Amino acid sequence: MLEQQLVNGLMLGSVYALIAVAFTLAIGVLNFLNFSLPGLFMVAGMLTWYLLRAHIAWPIAALLAIASGGLLGLLVERFTYRLMSRSAHFVPLVTSMAFLILFENLVLIAWGSDLQRVPVPFETLSWRLGPTVIAVPQLIGLACALIAVACLHQVLKRTRIGRGLRTIAEDPETATMLGVPVARVVPVVFVIGGLFTALGGFLFALNYQQASPFMGEEIALKGISAMVVGGMGNIWGAILGGLLIGVVETFSITWFGARAVDISVYGLLLAILFVRPAGLLGGVMRQQRM
Amino acid sequence: MSGYLESVLVLLAINTVLAYAAFLPMVAGQLNLGVAAFVAIGAYSGGYLSQTYGLHPVLAALAAVVVAGIMGWLVAFPILRTRGIYLALATFALNQVVQGTILNLNVVGGASGYPVPAHIGFPVVATFAVLVVVAVVALFHTRFGISVTAVSDDERVADLMGLSVRGLQTAAFTAGAALAGLGGALYAHHFNYIEAQNYGVLFSIYVVLYVLLGGTQTVYGPLLGAAVFTLLPELLRGSASWRYVIFACLIIAIMSLRPQGVLLRKAWFSK
Amino acid sequence: MVLEVRELSMSFGGLKVVDQLSFGVARGERLALIGPNGAGKTTVFNLITGVYAPDGGAVVLEGNDITALPSRFRIRRGLARTFQNIRLMAHLTVLENVMIAQYARAPGIGALFQPVGFGRSNRWREEARGALANAGLESYASQMAGGLPYGIQKRIELVRALLAAPRVLLLDEPAAGLNPAETEALHQALEAIAARGVTLVVVEHDMQFVGRLCQRVVVLNFGVKIAECAVAEIHRDPRVREAYLGTDELAA
Repeated sequence: MLEQQLVNGLMLGSVYALIAVAFTLAIGVLNFLNFSLPGLFMVAGMLTWYLLRAHIAWPIAALLAIASGGLLGLLVERFTYRLMSRSAHFVPLVTSMAFLILFENLVLIAWGSDLQRVPVPFETLSWRLGPTVIAVPQLIGLACALIAVACLHQVLKRTRIGRGLRTIAEDPETATMLGVPVARVVPVVFVIGGLFTALGGFLFALNYQQASPFMGEEIALKGISAMVVGGMGNIWGAILGGLLIGVVETFSITWFGARAVDISVYGLLLAILFVRPAGLLGGVMRQQRM
Repeated sequence: MSGYLESVLVLLAINTVLAYAAFLPMVAGQLNLGVAAFVAIGAYSGGYLSQTYGLHPVLAALAAVVVAGIMGWLVAFPILRTRGIYLALATFALNQVVQGTILNLNVVGGASGYPVPAHIGFPVVATFAVLVVVAVVALFHTRFGISVTAVSDDERVADLMGLSVRGLQTAAFTAGAALAGLGGALYAHHFNYIEAQNYGVLFSIYVVLYVLLGGTQTVYGPLLGAAVFTLLPELLRGSASWRYVIFACLIIAIMSLRPQGVLLRKAWFSK
Repeated sequence: MVLEVRELSMSFGGLKVVDQLSFGVARGERLALIGPNGAGKTTVFNLITGVYAPDGGAVVLEGNDITALPSRFRIRRGLARTFQNIRLMAHLTVLENVMIAQYARAPGIGALFQPVGFGRSNRWREEARGALANAGLESYASQMAGGLPYGIQKRIELVRALLAAPRVLLLDEPAAGLNPAETEALHQALEAIAARGVTLVVVEHDMQFVGRLCQRVVVLNFGVKIAECAVAEIHRDPRVREAYLGTDELAA
């Protein structure tokens, strides 16, 4: 029983991990808490439902849903970070919140407020490992998340863009002087963040067979907790935080009931902020400022 | 007065109270994403007091202000040790924890909502709102307004100038919590039904956004923001969701063009 | 001695930034604190005003040991300062900025609710306005402090410090970044302030300025006092020359 809960928690956690990575990338490189990301998660999830319901082949649905994250991420960048340098530092945060509201309400208008069942176009295979059941699609989801982050890690370490991102993270004022084409590199943060979040949304819709206009608020927002717990600005921290939050949530449902989830997940966030704000793996965030 | 007009004005009054509840911490440099939590605390404690102890609803509302204020004061101790984004995150986490806690309190209905029979009519709600506006405007004609702004602008120097940084930050946070509680209690007793599901972080975000719309540079900014937020949908007669879409677009536009808000920065007292 | 530091020491992560520093200032005196960059001069100011707590030693103001006194109470005891990088409140007007310092003269919770913004005239507001007028800055009173020119902001900072009615005024590089006309005006202003009995302690790199304004000098290098003498003798002291070796700051 315990092992099953653990497995379930890790599967759920892989979704949180993806969102947390998106958050942590924005925080680490741009010192920007991107509140629009849960909106992107939700749009990808709802799009997955919509496309699968229309009998679109699931690889194409996947592609479209994930791409939507990248595109919307780019849209958000135009109106948030692009304006940051010349205004008060809370402006991007506030604008990203407005985007969250915008996306949620547009989807409500388009598709109503109901929780939608996502028709899964294939048999759900499961493995049995002793008394534990592991759903193969969920396992693939976990694998995807880990592979995606490993790729991101390589990109950050070895490519020019990655180096550009790391330079901006360390020294934003002089990044331009150091030869980083900031205006071309910054959107990459938003696109990668959007793609990761959308992947999370797609996987969630597929693996839990549900999507709703509120899934951003209800699920993706916990990615913030995962990010902070793991360590802001640290992408492996985001993975760790995500998996941990997933496990905390699953155990919390088992022991305390479904309504105690928020208390556990956000209580943990609160505790970390008071006791060890740098998170478990220690963040690399720049000081202060929103 | 028609029922429709009256409910719009009541909402305007309550949203104004909430706007100032968010405004006070924001002037002190605190982005309080936990406003909704204190609104909920006010709503539920006020409703509980009037229901269970038969307290007159206005007294219950005042008691709710005290409850919310005390909770704000207690929470301020750990929360105000954080700064900037950590503070915003801590208030966000607090909000979700409070909401989650209320959802589990079956004594006030838990997830099924809580009916509050005792009623507070429009005239009383409006009176409270007017009193709040007058009080805050007066407050910002005293040393308090400039002191709190000083703390927000430069904590280190404000301290060296003799101001109690911690004291002022706590005062702003606590006063904000108390006002939020008032708004919640008024809502609970006028509309006679409250649901914990409404008091998540998105509620706080709405309040913060409409305060920023009007701007925090003048003491009338929150009033303007609350007015736009409340009256806009009535003018447009769209569904609730369209109202929020337009509101969101408005925020994005304002933040691009005029991030200080519609009412531009002025002195707290102009002569 | 109106202000004394006794064997003041402070380390940052193993590095001794101020080492057993002792000096005193007599009432009405004008002392300069000089030394090459990184000598620890601003740190000394931070220790005196309570921004940092020393690892050892004491700060004594008007005979009272204030080493353990929290920083926000020190201005009430008559100790005010200006800053190397101007630290005005960007979101307050010039008038509001200088009024902040008045709180130190009449602190307390009740004072926070003084209705300074009401009515046609209010004594605190009028006093602040008068102080700005004395400094020739009354035309800036209603402007936001954030966007003003550097030289103007420096003068405002001085008015602000004075509105706390300090008996000891610490000035951190008051002449930095000023052109000759502004420097002369600053000199005149400080002379007038000193003439009113205010004790001045000045950190400065401009030796000409120091030479004209101050009577005595304490020279710091690597956090240690290497000399203390009358201002006219700085050039002759070999230790001082050595400390400034490689710089042409002493040339004046």
